[in-house]
Amino acid sequence: MNIIVQPKGFLKKHIEGATEVMMKVDAGTTAETLVKSMGIDIEDKRFGFVAINGHRVMIDTVLKEGDSLKIYPRISGG
Amino acid sequence: MYKEDLKMFGYQNNVLRINLSDKTYKTEPLNMDWAEKYIGAKGLGIRYMYDELKPGIDPLSEENKLMLMTGPLTGTPVPCSGKLAIISKSPATGTILDCSIGGHAALKVKYAGYDAIMFEGKLDQPGYVMIQDDKIEFCDGAELWGKGAHETETLLVEKYGHDNSYMTIGPAGENLVPMSCINSDYYRQAGRGGIGAVMGSKNIKALVINGTGGVKAHDIVETTKKIIEIANTDCGDEENEFIFTDGTAAFLEACQDGGILPNKNFSDATDDNWVKYNSEKMQANRFGKKGCGSCGLGCGNFTKIGDAICEGPEYESMAVAGPNCGIDDLEAIVKFNQICDDMGLDTISAGDTICYAMEMTEKGIHDFGIKFGDKVKYLEYLELMGRKEGIGAELAMGVKPLAAKYGGEEFAMHVKGLEYPQYEPRGSWATALAYAVSDRGACHMRAYPPNEEVFAASCDPYTAEGKGQLVFDLAVYNAVKFSMVLCDFWPLSIERMAELMSLVTGKNFTEEKMNEVAVNVINIARAFNQREGFNRTNDTVPKRIVTEALQSGPAAGQNMTQADFESMLDQYYAVLGWSNEGIMPDSLIATL
Repeated sequence: MNIIVQPKGFLKKHIEGATEVMMKVDAGTTAETLVKSMGIDIEDKRFGFVAINGHRVMIDTVLKEGDSLKIYPRISGG
Repeated sequence: MYKEDLKMFGYQNNVLRINLSDKTYKTEPLNMDWAEKYIGAKGLGIRYMYDELKPGIDPLSEENKLMLMTGPLTGTPVPCSGKLAIISKSPATGTILDCSIGGHAALKVKYAGYDAIMFEGKLDQPGYVMIQDDKIEFCDGAELWGKGAHETETLLVEKYGHDNSYMTIGPAGENLVPMSCINSDYYRQAGRGGIGAVMGSKNIKALVINGTGGVKAHDIVETTKKIIEIANTDCGDEENEFIFTDGTAAFLEACQDGGILPNKNFSDATDDNWVKYNSEKMQANRFGKKGCGSCGLGCGNFTKIGDAICEGPEYESMAVAGPNCGIDDLEAIVKFNQICDDMGLDTISAGDTICYAMEMTEKGIHDFGIKFGDKVKYLEYLELMGRKEGIGAELAMGVKPLAAKYGGEEFAMHVKGLEYPQYEPRGSWATALAYAVSDRGACHMRAYPPNEEVFAASCDPYTAEGKGQLVFDLAVYNAVKFSMVLCDFWPLSIERMAELMSLVTGKNFTEEKMNEVAVNVINIARAFNQREGFNRTNDTVPKRIVTEALQSGPAAGQNMTQADFESMLDQYYAVLGWSNEGIMPDSLIATL
């Protein structure tokens, strides 16, 4: 499957500062698996959440062909 | 400068008390027993007001007071320590009111030799007050009265130069509008609860503050070494980069994806057109950056489109002037922000009032002459509100009085008369509780649940379970932070806050001690409000939130009921040891 991946903020360093990258994954892959495969530690307190096609989802959500996956770092303030 | 016999370093042990009625002033030692229990800024200021304000006074009368309060770290190189608390009784809500303002005024107050400045009484004529170290001067302000906040500051800068810090009100504050703010450095505001009207009620158009002293910290060498380390690691961590590159505009996309971006007076919680006014669009129109005194982050962004210019817009202003009013034109949003700042209006309350009026008109309940998306009229209305002219005289009252007069109670988005911030509670249920129990009415800065429920994966946003404890924990964090006082942008731990307190004051502060301080702060604010007659019946949620489901976004169909909300209230009161009616027992009040 082709997935458009958009890390936000400092997580862009995982795709060398680019805005987005197309990644190929196997059918049945979850967002969690893909995020971890990029070297992102989801247990890090600086990790935030993921959104698929513009909707925040739980990180164990299974991806589908053509999905757009945003990976947010933790943001705070107000 | 500072009084000797410092029990704790960092403080000046000195309060300046100014009587505006007879134009006299004196200094007195800071109450250091209270400082140990409440630290400074928010907490200590509220403790003073609890002691000095008689219950039931009119917030716009001479009996109300206005206090500028710093913290022990103010004026030191500790990152993000340049904020100033302003405390009073709110003309919008009748509750205690503490606001926090950036810029450089806090440092000037501290360098002038004061922990706090208390204004009492009222000037007999409009004027401004010069505070230059230990010299205080009461000046005629007739030529400034009626002018916008921006022009006022410019005239004062031309007269007195750039070394001072200036705090001003616009026409809204002069006209006692209950959503008026205090400005500083042109574009920084103490925004909420009508603090500008309190200043206006005292006939103070502006404050001109300068100080040439310093702050005495414990073991300056070790303190400085640690501050540099922290500035380069904790504060300067890569996770905080977005604060410099984007500022609060970064929240827009996260709120859109999280389903908490209010649309058309909280009718829904996403906006298909959000990319038209997002952070990238702002950056494309950016022409400058700014940080406050002692800032380690630099969140300020100047945006200019055509003749519209402002610092920001911050997320709150962007959301309320954008999707909540049915508008997706960034130039109009910037202009909205600019006019609010110049008139001295709180963008959140002004925007919420206008989008309430838009919905009232669209539904035919009352014709305010404005509908969603009308970006011409919504700019015109702001100046009318600030000057209390025409229809603006009515709109300036705010959502609660308007709903009482004209109806639309079910979508009157406020708590205790303070209009809703721009995080939609149906996508973050604890936010409904946080707004309800906030000490100054609906506020997102007393506890900030989106941080846990939406911007992290730590808990389910769509359940009442555990939310009383969550809001309490978040309120503890912010009570400490706003009492030290540190910028809300720096996500440092309470343990780190304790470490900084120990370094600067020379007294051992532990995480446990800081948690005790936080509970003191939460309770003293509640005690003030309780004495004014507030209880559970005032800790409310607008009907829309518990009767209408969202139509779009991840929170669509996640119905929060009144029973869910009441359950969260029960939990919160229980954690704090308050009764089911939200009343603090006398035994607890006796400890404050």
